[in-house]
Amino acid sequence: MGSPCHFALFDLQPDFRVDLDLLAARYRELARHVHPDRFADAAEREQRLALEQSAQLNEAYQVLRSAPQRARYLLTLRGAELPLEVTVQDGEFLLQQMHWREELEDLQDSADLAGVASFKRRLKAAQDELNESFAVCWDDPQQREQAERLMRRMQFLDKLSFEVRQLEERLDD
Amino acid sequence: MALLQIAEPGQSPQPHQRRLAVGIDLGTTNSLVAAVRSGLSAPLADESGAVIVPSAVRYFADHVVVGEPAKAAASSDPLNTVLSVKRLMGRGLEDVKQLGEQLPYRFVAGESHMPFIDTVQGLKSPVEVSADILRVLRQRAEAALGGELVGAVITVPAYFDDAQRQATKDAARLAGLSVLRLLNEPTAAAVAYGLDQQAEGLVAIYDLGGGTFDISILRLTGGVFEVLATGGDSALGGDDFDHAIAGWTVEQAGISSDLDPTQQRLLLEAACAAKEALTKHAETQLSYGDWQASLSRAQFNALIEPMVARSLKACRRAVRDAQIELEDIKAVVMVGGSTRVPRVRAAVAELFGREPLTDIDPDQVVAIGAAIQADTLAGNQRGQGEELLLLDVIPLSLGLETMGGLMEKVIPRNTTIPVARAQEFTTYKDGQTAMLIHVLQGERELISDCRSLARFELRGIPPMVAGAAKIRVTFQVDADGLLSVSARELVSGVEASIQVKPSYGLTDGEIARMLKDSFQNAGEDKVARVLREQQVDAQRLLEAVEAALLADGERLLEADERLAIEAQMQQLRELMAGNDGLAIEQQTKRLTQVTDAFAARRLDATVKAALAGRSLNEIEE
Repeated sequence: MGSPCHFALFDLQPDFRVDLDLLAARYRELARHVHPDRFADAAEREQRLALEQSAQLNEAYQVLRSAPQRARYLLTLRGAELPLEVTVQDGEFLLQQMHWREELEDLQDSADLAGVASFKRRLKAAQDELNESFAVCWDDPQQREQAERLMRRMQFLDKLSFEVRQLEERLDD
Repeated sequence: MALLQIAEPGQSPQPHQRRLAVGIDLGTTNSLVAAVRSGLSAPLADESGAVIVPSAVRYFADHVVVGEPAKAAASSDPLNTVLSVKRLMGRGLEDVKQLGEQLPYRFVAGESHMPFIDTVQGLKSPVEVSADILRVLRQRAEAALGGELVGAVITVPAYFDDAQRQATKDAARLAGLSVLRLLNEPTAAAVAYGLDQQAEGLVAIYDLGGGTFDISILRLTGGVFEVLATGGDSALGGDDFDHAIAGWTVEQAGISSDLDPTQQRLLLEAACAAKEALTKHAETQLSYGDWQASLSRAQFNALIEPMVARSLKACRRAVRDAQIELEDIKAVVMVGGSTRVPRVRAAVAELFGREPLTDIDPDQVVAIGAAIQADTLAGNQRGQGEELLLLDVIPLSLGLETMGGLMEKVIPRNTTIPVARAQEFTTYKDGQTAMLIHVLQGERELISDCRSLARFELRGIPPMVAGAAKIRVTFQVDADGLLSVSARELVSGVEASIQVKPSYGLTDGEIARMLKDSFQNAGEDKVARVLREQQVDAQRLLEAVEAALLADGERLLEADERLAIEAQMQQLRELMAGNDGLAIEQQTKRLTQVTDAFAARRLDATVKAALAGRSLNEIEE
């Protein structure tokens, strides 16, 4: 059994713009059919198959609902493999990254909760902006390089928002 | 009326035959069993009408007493009476010492680093003690429902790690229960509330039991219960409130904290009574020996404040993990006896900005929800509208040890289960032929701060230069939250895999011995029981294949494939009439093999049909 395209699994066309509510609704509907709970009293083999299909469904859902992961997945559908870690030739963004990080460190040192809230809002705005830029260029072979660069920026901001959550936890004592 | 009853996968051809299944809340302090009868989920009572079984087990040389009479003997016979055994499940001797309290038992190390309790009936592992409680619940259910159970849903704290879950499943096996599912306690409570109140939207479940604390955030949508995040502390509960009062007493009375087991029990009993009194009264008298003092609710609140604060911190983290805001939560549900403490209710109300719901008895709600899920899993709800579906998550990240003693996460916490995920690693030395796979669970970066679940070796890697080998390690977590790990070298195809048997679990040898003992104690005829199980399995498979052939045989099978299947079915039917268990088992396997491809095709077809059905609905709208 090969693994079908994540988009096809949800009967969607490969695109960056995804109706997340529709995706969630289809996910729940499919989960109803393949979840191991439906096979709790079935033979071991049915249980194993349900486990595999269900894990596959969960994986696909997880990739599609996260913007950076969806972006990455679209690019792999369209072309070569993308190594997870590369040296990014993106000087402009590198500078921006440093600013983000310095600011986050300052917030930690000053334990500034209001500052963290404002940082989160700006981060969210930056993510939305990146998503917009990616949505208009990912499918254009001429702009492939730009799309890849944007995807890596999305990944960075995603990681940064994880670090913000960790910081919030440290400050929550 | 339909001429043909089209059976869904897994459904038995006789849909009206009710299959007996129960939900069991195996709690730190109290346990109970519930079942759905006449469409209503309720706890099952004993002859005297009591539904709660205190989780207390007293060992005599030749028999075991469970429940209220055992609890009553806790101070008179402390060495042979085990309370709060749940706190020891899946833990090592070292962990037990770090629980930060004196336990009045004599612990002995087992072959698997598990703490065994030395009793008058010999060494007892926490798994065996739990099995003794489960056995009583099983007997109560079989008496009340009038038949043998097809299985049980057993609840565990959402924050239980792999070792604690595995230990719970082992206990059920020892008690002769077939586990339909291990279900997280807060999720079970959400089911009881959600179905009762037809709730939709975001819900928080705050579950403070005797020994464990869980917080879960769920999204409820049309019968689907989707856990967004869970958090907690598997060593925080009402017992700790008792210990806080006991500590205060020792300090105030100026007595030595080095008490003998009987004194310890008496002190804890006095502390627990004071705690309960303070739920209703602003002040209570506490006496221990000749010493007496009054304890006010304000003093008590101050004593437990650090623990309440810890629970609230876990709540805030779960909300962050769910990537929502506190204001988005539409309802907060209180679960567990310790949520009766006024300070706990007030603190939770303050955090979430709304009064928490307490409509369903906090001691019973988990078992009630588990029974509903058990009824669903046993197939009794099928065909009655939208079926209930629970989508749960893993509470703690799973990963591997990498160079430098660091933990590399393979599956982050709060990932929906079931899940399978692979990561590739390589060799770091030229000619390296083996690799140690060290499986860990936890959130910290250093492996010493994480829980070690298992270690195994992948051997026989062909010698290559460093970095040339490609070792893919695959983690799979099933719907019970249990992990299995396999490793494979991709260039050569060398493989190794294990069902993770936690370092603190029972070894297979220990389980085999306990099973043997339990059969002897229960006076059951092992051979007869095994034969019956094989016959039941065979019958179940036959029914499933018959239903599948009826539904999809024409559509999905070639004529010769169908003939081959029918021949194997006939052979199995003939064997089932006899009493050769081994032959039945082998033929069951053969029938399984010959229907493998058919089963896979059916499941694929189901997914396609689900999408097609959806499209049709949309066109109609």
